[in-house]
Amino acid sequence: MKNALKIVAFTLIVTAFYSYVGQMVPQKETYPPESREIRPDLTVDEMVDFGREIVGAKGTCLTCHTFGSDKPERFPDLNNIGRKAGSRKDGFSDIDYLAESLYDPDAYIVEGFAPGMPAVNKPPISLSDKEILTVIAYLQSLGSAPSVTMQTKLKSAGRDLAAFSTPGRTALSEEAAASATTKPVDSEHLDGEGLFKKYLCNSCHRIDAPVKLVGPSLYDAGNRLTTAQLYQAILEPDAIIAEGFPAGVMTASLRGLGFYDQITTKELKIMVDYLASQKGNK
Amino acid sequence: MSKKNIIILLLSLFILMLFWEITQSATTTADVQQGTQVSTTKIGGNVDYRNFPVVGSRVAMWVIAQLHLMFAAFVLAVPMFVLLIEYIGYRTGDKRYDDLAYEFTKLLSTSFSFTASLGALLTFALIILYPKVTNYLISIFSWTFFPYVLLFFLETGFLYSYYYGWGKFSPRIHLALGVGLNITGTIIMFIANAWLTFMNTPAGITESGELINIWDAITNYTWMPINIHRFIANIAFGGSIAAAYGAYKFLGAKTDQERAHYDWMGYVGMFIAICALLPLPFAGYYLGIEIYAFSQTLGVTLMGGTFSWLFIIQAVLIGNLFLAANYYLWVSMERIEGAERFRKFIKYLLASILISFLVWATPHSLVATIEEARRMGGAHHPILGVLGVMSAKNTAVNILILTTYISFLLYRRGNKEATVSWAKKGNTIQFIVFATTIIFVVFLGVLGYFVEAKVRIGLSIPQVLSVLLAMVVVTILDIFMFRKARIRGAIKWGKMPNRAQYALFFIAITFAWTMGLMGYVRSGMRQHWHVYGVMKDTSVDAFTPTLGFASNVVSVTVIIFFAFIAIVFWLAGLSGKKNWEPNSSRQPLTEEARS
Repeated sequence: MKNALKIVAFTLIVTAFYSYVGQMVPQKETYPPESREIRPDLTVDEMVDFGREIVGAKGTCLTCHTFGSDKPERFPDLNNIGRKAGSRKDGFSDIDYLAESLYDPDAYIVEGFAPGMPAVNKPPISLSDKEILTVIAYLQSLGSAPSVTMQTKLKSAGRDLAAFSTPGRTALSEEAAASATTKPVDSEHLDGEGLFKKYLCNSCHRIDAPVKLVGPSLYDAGNRLTTAQLYQAILEPDAIIAEGFPAGVMTASLRGLGFYDQITTKELKIMVDYLASQKGNK
Repeated sequence: MSKKNIIILLLSLFILMLFWEITQSATTTADVQQGTQVSTTKIGGNVDYRNFPVVGSRVAMWVIAQLHLMFAAFVLAVPMFVLLIEYIGYRTGDKRYDDLAYEFTKLLSTSFSFTASLGALLTFALIILYPKVTNYLISIFSWTFFPYVLLFFLETGFLYSYYYGWGKFSPRIHLALGVGLNITGTIIMFIANAWLTFMNTPAGITESGELINIWDAITNYTWMPINIHRFIANIAFGGSIAAAYGAYKFLGAKTDQERAHYDWMGYVGMFIAICALLPLPFAGYYLGIEIYAFSQTLGVTLMGGTFSWLFIIQAVLIGNLFLAANYYLWVSMERIEGAERFRKFIKYLLASILISFLVWATPHSLVATIEEARRMGGAHHPILGVLGVMSAKNTAVNILILTTYISFLLYRRGNKEATVSWAKKGNTIQFIVFATTIIFVVFLGVLGYFVEAKVRIGLSIPQVLSVLLAMVVVTILDIFMFRKARIRGAIKWGKMPNRAQYALFFIAITFAWTMGLMGYVRSGMRQHWHVYGVMKDTSVDAFTPTLGFASNVVSVTVIIFFAFIAIVFWLAGLSGKKNWEPNSSRQPLTEEARS
């Protein structure tokens, strides 16, 4: 009994010691970033203030970037970036360069650094186009006078969703998809059948009858394939080839059409749901 | 009413109250706090979250999950080293190893029950308290649940036939049962690891989170690194608990024979724990590399942002582990005749460990007042600040590992004298290997300060590989050098001071606390995401708590765990007790007395 009590006391003391160590380090609670409404009529100064706030909070820029350090770590220091941005990439204005750095960071890597920055319009950061404009205003203000406004049309806005077609990678957010689209406005109202025609799926696949064309009939696709398989069949056509059909044709066709550059997540879901509803009972 | 009935009644009342509280909190009017929804009012409708009384849902889930993980780690690890010990006994014909293996297995049956019960509690807690995220994970991983449950049936069969069948089957069949138990347990762990790693580094899904490919979802970025890390860490943790059992029995031993046996048991458990601890940091690096490969933001949040101070706490824990392990080895050498010739090296080993520990525990940024920061010229100390970066820390941990390995080597040689003709050359070669490795590791660490980040990050790999290579080369040399060695003296098993047993308890508690802390950081690095980048946490607990709070939760979990382990130890010890017999001095009642 005496031994047992000593062991209990020892356990409590050691555990309490580690708890004490835990109290001695800096104590900080971190809350989810808040989104503020960004009015379309913000002045440039207001944009800079918003941008500064986003950089320090929702944008999580300070996680990786320094501002004014002569010994940057993994990612470039952003001091005077407003002055440097205009001369970084040929043919790119400072706004274009900053926008591309935010929407498609891998397009240009500063010498001495490795790729790794996430696209800020996608999760987990998921900045909206308006928020990105304010961030650009703030970055421009570092070393230069901001010239971007809330009405500026960015070249890089509406990036494609090709990133998520790469196996093993993830690209997630409805918000990001909505802001990434460059499709005409009326496409938003197309149903599954409309999208099937819009993207010329009907040129290779019959959906109204069990007739083979260049590709297999999708007459009863909903009976043969699960939703996951339908997604895969569109995003990775060569993963599983139906018997009697050649590999590579659909991939080449879709790439040639710019399908992966145009389709949005919302459209993809509508199309998959449409295909899943094809049970062959027409 | 008997005591037992009163306890059952009170427990039933408590469960009813808990159930009532949970249902009440699920059906109260929606309460929006800081823009987050706690619960909804729809009858039969979807509820995102439910509240757990007093401590809140997050803490309840945290404690339950961590307890389940600790027991699962133990239950998976023990069969691994028990199988190895049994095999050694089978090959050498030394029955002591077989008996030792059986004694470790005694700890398994109760632990398995605890693991399964906590697993069931965890499942219910997920379904009740976090239905939204549970539903989502089920939609992704539904087809993995059936094999998971079926494997439990298989594991139960293997485990109980392995334990109860000890000595009842031929050794080969019994070993085969052990192999089956280990394979089943490992696959179970791999399946569960898919679920939790998906939450951190999701893959195989669309932008809106719908499943594309289940195999991609399973084999996400951190799945294999966690498999490897947990495989090794389980062995380290399990070994430490087994050593603690040996220490507990040693302290209660009545005879020299018992003390000798449990001293040996404690040593074997500790040996297993430290052998697994040595490569564990490398497994951790691999996990870190894959986290960074998935998302640099996630990686920097983990190591350089919100959780950087957590790794200072971890440095304290791991440093303590190495210190205690080395201390145990040095004290153990006192019971080895002939080992006194190595005593003179202990002070150098201690200095090496302390310096490495201090370097590892040095933070990059200091908590300073404005005046102090002004005098320092920033948040970093002008001299010590250079030690707060990974170049210094990687170097320190590699030196720590090498130093501990040297302690082991000296212990192993304690009462032996090499008789091979090339012994002196062999020692020289080993010395050169150590010296070269240390110089190489330190050189790369210093080089890291003068190269750009992407080059510096890659330097940790040759550091790790050189240490691993050194340990392998020296071990091989040692085995050949000490074949047919002259034994200078006996190992006096049992002649150990009690403080050495407390070193074993310290190691077990520190391992458990480290597991708790690392469990926290694995979940916490997602911050306000249930599934990183896919499903946001919109509950009232969506914030990241302070490290002080987290430390308190980890401490409570560790205390509960060891309370359960005490029950396991007590039950395992019952089989060695004498059978209960009626008191012979009691006389049966006479008829007169009865009336």
